[in-house]
Amino acid sequence: MRLVGSAITIAVAILGFAAIAQQTGTGTDQPPAGSPPPPTPPANGSQPQVDESALRYFASQGDTRRVNAEIARLRALYPNWTPPSDLSQLSGAAGGAAPDPLIERLWNLYREDRIAEVRATITERQTADPSWKPPEELVTALDMVEARRRLTNASDTGQWRTVLQVATESPGLLTCTNVDVMWRVAEAFARTDQPNRTRDVYTYLLQNCANPGERLATLQKALTLLPEPQVTALLQFERKTGETPDDFTSIRDELARRRVERASLDSKLTASAEDLAVVERMIQNTNEAGPVLILGWYNYHHGNPARALELFKTALDRDGGTKAAEGYAMALRALERLADAEAFAYEWRERAPENMKIYLDVATALLSQDPPPRLEPQVLARIVPVVTAQRFSDAAQALGWYSYNTEQIRTARDWFRTALGWKADDEASAYGLALTTQRLNDRAGFNAVVAQWRGRSQRIAELADGTNPAARRQPVAAPAVVAQVPAAQPAESTPPPVQPRPASSRVTVERVETEQTFTRTEANVRRRQSQARSTLGRSCAITRNPAGLTGDSALTRGWCLMEINRPMEAVAAFDQAIATGSGRTREEAAYGKSLAYLRKNMTSEAAVAAAEAPQTRERRVELGASILTQRALAAYRDGRYVETLLALTERARIVPEQNDLLLIRGWSYLKLGRYDDAAKVFRAVQQTGYSEEAAAGLNAIAEVTGQMRY
Amino acid sequence: MRMRMRRLTPLLPWLCATFFLAMAPMASSQTLSVQPLNLVGTISQADWEAYRSRLVEDNGRVVDTANGNISHSEGQGYGLLLALAAADRSTFEKIWNFTFTELLIRDDGLAAWKWDPAAKPRVTDRNNATDGDLLIAYALAKAGAAWQEPRYTTAAQKLAKAIGKTTFARNGQSLTLLPGAHGFGASDRPDGPVVNLSYWVFEAFPVMAALAPEYEWNRVWRDGVMLLQQTVAGRVRLPADWISLHNGLQPQPADGFPPEFGYNSLRIPLYLLRAGMTDLEWLRALRQRWSAENEGVAVVNVVTGQVRERLTDQGYAILPAALACALDGTPVPEALKTFEPTLYYPSTLYLLAKSLLGEKYPQCVSSAVP
Repeated sequence: MRLVGSAITIAVAILGFAAIAQQTGTGTDQPPAGSPPPPTPPANGSQPQVDESALRYFASQGDTRRVNAEIARLRALYPNWTPPSDLSQLSGAAGGAAPDPLIERLWNLYREDRIAEVRATITERQTADPSWKPPEELVTALDMVEARRRLTNASDTGQWRTVLQVATESPGLLTCTNVDVMWRVAEAFARTDQPNRTRDVYTYLLQNCANPGERLATLQKALTLLPEPQVTALLQFERKTGETPDDFTSIRDELARRRVERASLDSKLTASAEDLAVVERMIQNTNEAGPVLILGWYNYHHGNPARALELFKTALDRDGGTKAAEGYAMALRALERLADAEAFAYEWRERAPENMKIYLDVATALLSQDPPPRLEPQVLARIVPVVTAQRFSDAAQALGWYSYNTEQIRTARDWFRTALGWKADDEASAYGLALTTQRLNDRAGFNAVVAQWRGRSQRIAELADGTNPAARRQPVAAPAVVAQVPAAQPAESTPPPVQPRPASSRVTVERVETEQTFTRTEANVRRRQSQARSTLGRSCAITRNPAGLTGDSALTRGWCLMEINRPMEAVAAFDQAIATGSGRTREEAAYGKSLAYLRKNMTSEAAVAAAEAPQTRERRVELGASILTQRALAAYRDGRYVETLLALTERARIVPEQNDLLLIRGWSYLKLGRYDDAAKVFRAVQQTGYSEEAAAGLNAIAEVTGQMRY
Repeated sequence: MRMRMRRLTPLLPWLCATFFLAMAPMASSQTLSVQPLNLVGTISQADWEAYRSRLVEDNGRVVDTANGNISHSEGQGYGLLLALAAADRSTFEKIWNFTFTELLIRDDGLAAWKWDPAAKPRVTDRNNATDGDLLIAYALAKAGAAWQEPRYTTAAQKLAKAIGKTTFARNGQSLTLLPGAHGFGASDRPDGPVVNLSYWVFEAFPVMAALAPEYEWNRVWRDGVMLLQQTVAGRVRLPADWISLHNGLQPQPADGFPPEFGYNSLRIPLYLLRAGMTDLEWLRALRQRWSAENEGVAVVNVVTGQVRERLTDQGYAILPAALACALDGTPVPEALKTFEPTLYYPSTLYLLAKSLLGEKYPQCVSSAVP
């Protein structure tokens, strides 16, 4: 029995024949003799090699009836096959030898694929007559059939090393008549991390085998198993001339589609005009939602939400399902059509988890608009039960602020309490609870929040110390009740219904919005700081309580303290500015405060500060992203991977995730044992550069999962 | 020793590797050793034809007629063993052909255990079943020697090495036989390792040891016997089919399986008799329990002693008869002498017992053998 080689020897062997195939080039047939294992290339360019052993046997016996039956069978199997011309000579060569009925029976059984019975009959005959030997070609044919069965069964069951072992032991299988076997061997190489060997098998096949359908199918298989550069390299074997030229357009298109798909999820990647045109053509030529979605996301992530919206609409019409609905809602949100987004997302919320998520996000965004929007009662009435059922604390908090800003303090208090119940460490809700209990003269409630949060939240502590007067914002005029929210509240202690904001309050806040605002750039901040420093001179450095300062003086003092790098005191000054200043002052102070917190690496405080004053969309995005980056990195440094992912995901919602943060995401997944997710991320990064870092991650996964296998 | 082996046939040198266990720690003067069987020609043509025509397909597939007509490595192993015992080379070759091309496809060289004609791919569980592997390897080795067929011997050796490499597991001081490559080890389940005593095909161990001497077959065999002694020391005196060795000193019925002496464990006494290990004290206790005056062959809860199901098929009834014959020379009742094939499993047990009786205790079955 031949010694079983390791996968590496096999690989070398296959590499050997592939290399030879390359040397001999397209159209040449025989590789040099003695190369292991000798593959049998097709006899000519268009004719597969057919097992003619049974046919030749019947011919040699002069059995015309069986010869004809066998020719018919082989023709059915191989349409391009033509019977050999030398059959009549064979018949003559049989001479006077009487046909052996047993051998005829064996060949018949073999033709009927009754291999076990052939073996059994041979054994029987040999038991009776130990000197008897079956025909050589029958034994070879049996070995081949058995090897092919084992190889096929092993491949169907994912036993890749067996596949390679059988192929090594029966190299005769690797011919153009057995393209299926070659495909399976190629896959076995890929599944055992030898993609170059996979490519070699495909290369051999494309250089030697003629059937255009099989050639195209080979590339389709390559698409599922090989990295794209290798697939692209295989395209060079396309035969553009000859009887049966290839048409690999579909493969090229698929590669283009994939490039656009990758770019569709990463705003840093740009797809070429040609690639985009391919996807456009796919959209025209099919009724599939797939390419429409790709182009939708591409536009969404490349600053064209209006076009994205149209495409997602088309995708919806083509039964694009939950993904299309998610995209449609996200595009509406990006277009700031929050009311439409909410109404649409509501219809889809139960269809998939991501649809529920976008609904909650959109509802939260809708409620958190500044100034508080005028909402139809039925909108609030449908948001509340979903938020309650999903226990989504962000939306509960948003309902709190919405109520607070529309002078429904009691309702606001209950929502803040609910939000805290769902997310105990939610400082912003705690602050809201402190504010509302204070406003309601609910001493017990107020003291309870303060007792719990004094050590963790400076602004709650200040509220308790009276340094930060409650009025976070001038409340608008008391709302007239527009409509009662239906009482269909879920069981648990849900806050009383939120009243929609009355239209009358609109004017007030809009006026505030039109005041001139401070443009936030690094240069502006620096200028503002140094101006403040020169205005206040030495007095800036003297520690003093900012309480009592007017809004503008407090603001100047805040910037000045930033200039001399005393951010915690700057926070107090900015707080005073927020409490007493005009709209413009408050906004600028809130920004200064969040910068102060960022400087101290107090990212969650920075986030709170950013939420304290009206922010334009761009500012929210810019500030939010940098806060979330800081928060993610801090969490990652401390080994809090779940929080890292939360922060990154939140960040990815507002700005695209760049590669370095993607790597952090990958490592976080890895640390949490989510290897599949980690692998996906690293692979994505690998495809966009950063290959070394990504490869390190992939190796780490392999190492961990390899260890865990047994 | 009660029995003396006289009918020793010419053996290959490796068959002489006898297994020997002095039961010193068991406070008894028992000695146990495996006595090789000859097998070939111990099943009558009529009995074999009745079995083969019902349970073996032309492509060599042994069909488990009670389990949705699936096949498994155990059935293929039994089929090979019985074909050898019936001296039917042709059917042996068919069964081997099916086993080789359909089941022996695992990367580790073991056989995939489950094959379902109604599924695609046909192998529906790629895990192995170590008793199936042992039976196949054993039958191949015996056939290779009896018929001087090197193909069989080579395949037997490969499989023996794969069994030793993959299914032997150290557990504390002992070396145990895992029922499968996946899912039974100490790291695979909280109560692991979990073993099945009926997977110790005792008669196969010396043969395997000769084929793959680099693995500690003697030790696994011995530790299996010790485990059997341990598990039958309790009040009910029966081992559970599936045993957790998580606590090495205190084997327990494994989680997720009924704590029963069931269809699996029924085979243990048969294997002991076939291996010639008749001195094991437990066999006497079992003969008592299985006697007609007592409960007979049954599925029994090993904790409560309660009988769940009495088994009356001929294939089960022949087990106490073989036991009584081997221990006391009691002749096998007339009603059991004629084979009435039913389902795969009891029919197989029947022929395994009949083969043993025909070879070693012909006086117990003399009148009925044609």
